[in-house]
Amino acid sequence: MTKTDKKSFNQSLAEWKLFIYNRTTGEFLGRTAKSWGLILSFYLVFYGFLAALFSFTMWAMLQTLNDEVPKYRDQIPSPGLMPYGLEEQKNLTDCTNGNFFEQKRPEYTACQFPLALLEACGGVDDPTFGYQGGKPCILVKMNRIIGLKPQGEPRIEYLKYFPYYGKKLHGSYLQPLVAVQVSFGSDGDVKEVMVECKIDGSPNLKTQDDRDKFLGRVAFKITMDA
Amino acid sequence: MDRKREIYSVELSGTKDIEKTDKEDGKEKSRGLKNKCLERKKNHQKEELKKELDLDDHKLSKEELEAKYGTNIITGLSSAQAAELLAQHGPNSLTPPKGTPEIIKFLKQMIGGFSILLWIGAILCWIAYGIQYSNDHSSSLDNVYLGCVLALVVILTGVFAYYQEAKSTNIMSSFQKMIPQQALVIRDSEKKTIPADQLVVGDIVEIKGGDRVPADVRLLSTQGCKVDNSSVTGESEPQARSCEFTHESPLETKNIAFFSTTCLEVSAPPVGTATGMVISTGDRTIIGQIASLASGVKDSKTPIAIEIEHFVHIVAGVAVSVGIIFFIIAVSMKYHVLDSIIFLIGIIVANVPEGLLATVTVTLSLTAKRMAKKNCLVKNLEAVETLGSTSIICSDKTGTLTQNRMTVAHLWFDHQIFVADTSENHSNQVFDQSSATWASLSKIITLCNRAEFRPGQESVPIMKKTVVGDASETALLKFSEVMLGNVMDIRKRNRKVAEIPFNSTNKFQLSIHETEDPDDKRFLVVMKGAPERILEKCSTIMVNGQEQPLDRSTAEAFHTAYMELGGIGERVLGFCHLYLPTDEFPETYSFDVDTMNFPTSNFCFVGLLSMIDPPRSTVPDAVTKCRSAGIKVIMVTGDHPITAKAIAKSVGIISANSETVEDIAKRLNLPVEQVNKQDAKAAVVTGMELKDMSPEQLDELLANHSEIVFARTSPQQKLIIVEGCQRQDAVVAVTGDGVNDSPALKKADIGIAMGIAGSDAAKNAADMVLLDDNFASIVTGVEEGRLIFDNLKKTIAYTLTKNIAELCPFLIYIIAGLPLPIGTVTILFIDLGTDIIPSIALAYEKAESDIMNRKPRHKKKDRLVNPPLALYSYLHIGLMQALGAFVTYFTVYAQQGFLPTTILHLRLEWENDNVNDLEDSYGQEWTRYQRKYLEWTGYTAFFVSIMIQQIADLIIRKTRRNSICQQGLFRNKIVWVGIASQIIIALILSYGLGSIQALNFTMLRPQYWFVAVPHAVLIWVYDEVRKLFIRLFPGSWWDKNMYY
Repeated sequence: MTKTDKKSFNQSLAEWKLFIYNRTTGEFLGRTAKSWGLILSFYLVFYGFLAALFSFTMWAMLQTLNDEVPKYRDQIPSPGLMPYGLEEQKNLTDCTNGNFFEQKRPEYTACQFPLALLEACGGVDDPTFGYQGGKPCILVKMNRIIGLKPQGEPRIEYLKYFPYYGKKLHGSYLQPLVAVQVSFGSDGDVKEVMVECKIDGSPNLKTQDDRDKFLGRVAFKITMDA
Repeated sequence: MDRKREIYSVELSGTKDIEKTDKEDGKEKSRGLKNKCLERKKNHQKEELKKELDLDDHKLSKEELEAKYGTNIITGLSSAQAAELLAQHGPNSLTPPKGTPEIIKFLKQMIGGFSILLWIGAILCWIAYGIQYSNDHSSSLDNVYLGCVLALVVILTGVFAYYQEAKSTNIMSSFQKMIPQQALVIRDSEKKTIPADQLVVGDIVEIKGGDRVPADVRLLSTQGCKVDNSSVTGESEPQARSCEFTHESPLETKNIAFFSTTCLEVSAPPVGTATGMVISTGDRTIIGQIASLASGVKDSKTPIAIEIEHFVHIVAGVAVSVGIIFFIIAVSMKYHVLDSIIFLIGIIVANVPEGLLATVTVTLSLTAKRMAKKNCLVKNLEAVETLGSTSIICSDKTGTLTQNRMTVAHLWFDHQIFVADTSENHSNQVFDQSSATWASLSKIITLCNRAEFRPGQESVPIMKKTVVGDASETALLKFSEVMLGNVMDIRKRNRKVAEIPFNSTNKFQLSIHETEDPDDKRFLVVMKGAPERILEKCSTIMVNGQEQPLDRSTAEAFHTAYMELGGIGERVLGFCHLYLPTDEFPETYSFDVDTMNFPTSNFCFVGLLSMIDPPRSTVPDAVTKCRSAGIKVIMVTGDHPITAKAIAKSVGIISANSETVEDIAKRLNLPVEQVNKQDAKAAVVTGMELKDMSPEQLDELLANHSEIVFARTSPQQKLIIVEGCQRQDAVVAVTGDGVNDSPALKKADIGIAMGIAGSDAAKNAADMVLLDDNFASIVTGVEEGRLIFDNLKKTIAYTLTKNIAELCPFLIYIIAGLPLPIGTVTILFIDLGTDIIPSIALAYEKAESDIMNRKPRHKKKDRLVNPPLALYSYLHIGLMQALGAFVTYFTVYAQQGFLPTTILHLRLEWENDNVNDLEDSYGQEWTRYQRKYLEWTGYTAFFVSIMIQQIADLIIRKTRRNSICQQGLFRNKIVWVGIASQIIIALILSYGLGSIQALNFTMLRPQYWFVAVPHAVLIWVYDEVRKLFIRLFPGSWWDKNMYY
């Protein structure tokens, strides 16, 4: 480093020191205490105002929403499918089959789901859901979508599980599900199986979307380890 | 370029002293030149120059020269020889200074400014993909695409900026090639006209009056040749040239004419031309060597380049520090390092105004175009602004401040001084022309004149006609043509029988004519010359057409008038006549000018006439404008101090009521030494005085006097003056035309070359070329430069604002785990899409107040991007925009089912590809793709909100102090074009390309376009309040913190 460089470095160091605290003017980071006070209180007030404004607009916006049903359902016109674990259910209404279980306010109840319907996969006879015997059960459920009703002649036996009225009104609701039981042969030749489930027979429930692999369908693989 | 230099001299009684100092001065100049050469060059170059200057061709006889160069004075070189020599030495032209190679310029654009940050972003993208790929071979290519997009952005903006630069440089080079020079050369015993750059050493060339000397030439035969050497030595008087070796130094000997100087005149036929032998060509000429000195002067950065660099540092500093802080935060919040890198990229992209530098380039080139229309051709785009921050202009006098043409300014006859019109077209001659004295005087002016109009100019206005003859004769010819009509016709009717041309020993010119009156057989002898010499020859004086004896009181009146006219820097000529009696001089009398067989005394004195190179009519106004704009105008001229001072006074460089030290001394009858220098506002300093000054004294001079004229200075001293001014922390503009000015032009913050009078070397060294050589054009340049600085501030403030709205989403995303509100690519669509035309539109904004009424900006204090600008853009408007955009974002999510409370910290599940039944606030379940689509809708909504608020931002940025109502909302139409472009681009992106989805845009519900409108209105109102307080309380705390 040449002399001039060193000097300029020292100079800039001194300038920095002066900038951080200037004893003569009492400036800290280029501002006096009073100036700092003013600018900070300005920002306090200004940001306070902005925060209040933001809170107010958000509050106002939330007021326009319905608690029970979202304003728009642009993005979810059609449900997805998901493999599903079993849950407990109690004291739900025993509904009749073959009709939409449409309800009126103020009380919404969910339909009871008799486990017997799932036969071997109901967990009643076999608490291991067939996994022990090489015949595993997989449950496939439909994503919940408020107000959804299948059209046409869906091959869903239990239309009583439609429609859904939203979490708030319809808290205990369980969406329709099907159980898939795969039976691997005892010889053990087949150890892997691909399963694809699709909603069928209802034109308003899409099952073909290039991007969304879960829209109205689900594909999964079951592997048996000896 | 056959421009003629005007010559003035003031012929007072002290002429001899002045002449003596002139001569010494001249020597000093050339010595100064050599010293300068030695000082400014590296050692080997120094030696080279010394060697060249030691050239001895001027000492050799013709025969020795023939032998040395292998040529023949009569037959010239053979074509073959010439071709060989041409191949050997190269063309006879000055090599333009080596510019930066194009590839370097291009690379500079590629890595300069923000580009380096974006490159880092792109590389980080690719690294991130590399890590992803090594973990999971099926990972998406998103990061690769993003990296490519970033690289593409850098390359495109770089190419664009490079193209803009190159375009403006091209204007210049095309301009230079406009005037090819021709030379008349003897080769193979034949006279040929060839392009001057084909000349080689040993060529025999012929030079006519008015020609530019085509190379360094040793004169072989010539008579009465005069050259204008001002571009080499700074001597503004014509220098006589002959064939004799008169001085040891090649710079001073009379038998060498220098390349690119102008040959003013060669005596009339039989010879008519000067013949000479080319002794050096191209860069080896004296001029070539001086020009190469200019490349030794370092090009300093333009003020705007410094400002932009400063701004880039601020923004890059913010980007990098925010990026790193949040990288650390992200890592310490247990984010994956890979994710943290992606965040870092997002933060960089959000923080960097990608389009801004390209916008600045466009803005500057728009201004450059506008200035070119006003006759300021800008070679270097950045120089556009430099003129605006100029605080001192060192201007030439001749041609820049003046019309560069001797013009009759005053007449004195009948004991009265009359004022002649000196305006550019001479149209308004108001003095009393009824006196019979005027009739006699006008006749002398017309007849005693050898200048003639070149033929074939019938349709050209008188003042624009080309004249063969020297400057004062030209002035008199044009004057009499305007006053009397067809001069040639008058001369024909008064046939000339004999004449004695002007020479420096006689100091008069005389001619004898027949009169036009056929009954009057007398001869009329008319004479003009130095007034005191004319008066000596007179015994009577004409008053009101009557001859009166010349008594003491009349002589005194003459002297008063003479002193008065001489004192205002005008060149005074006396006129007298004599009718010869017919008895002594019958019609058949044969006059002999050698024996002077006619009387040359006892003439009748008719009048005085004074001439000056008058100031251009637009200059006084321009100087006043400069003064009110806080710009100091310094005149630097090679001319005589009295003339310089007179012109300075008449154009206002020295204002009417200010005095120099000498003036005060005269008024108070004190010796000059006793006058307090602080009292004198003005100063006239000669080159001699300047030479003896120490730098400290010069600094003192520049600091203490506001009105300074440097007279009798050499171009070399100009450099010293410029350096002095720069020591005062001033931004200095310098005008120049000569080759010798090029170091000063280069040294100046902005060198301004004259388009008409300027040499190529000067134009090469300059940053700007004045196409009309007019000082007033500089002032328009200053105005444009200041306007562009203000408007660039607005553009930058506009562009920086939305950075916060782009940055906040990333910060919130990292800290609060919301689904990402805006994507990196979407940000690029704002920065390089919707925001581009509006930010250029601000360049068309008119000035808010009279920008020519304020001081030039202080180059270290008044920054382009100052703390208030950055704070106001980032922390006020930027934050408001961010809030507005977030309101839209939350609205979209809430209305689709995800309430704000739900999306808080939802990020991990939201982005998990394996979760295809994510529950929203209403119990609905979303697949990953459905969520992604909602996220893109969020991007689009956020984008649209920023766009809507940027419209408000654009409108508020039209002014910095005035209310928008004062500025006029609709006056700048381009701003509305910008607003329209924003909306149209956004519509196309959402509804046109929304279905493609690769760009992450979706078709937005129409009502979401309006969610941010109240915020946009709020921004406008808030800014109006800010401006109102600034106007109401100037100088207050608010003004200091809120005015940018």
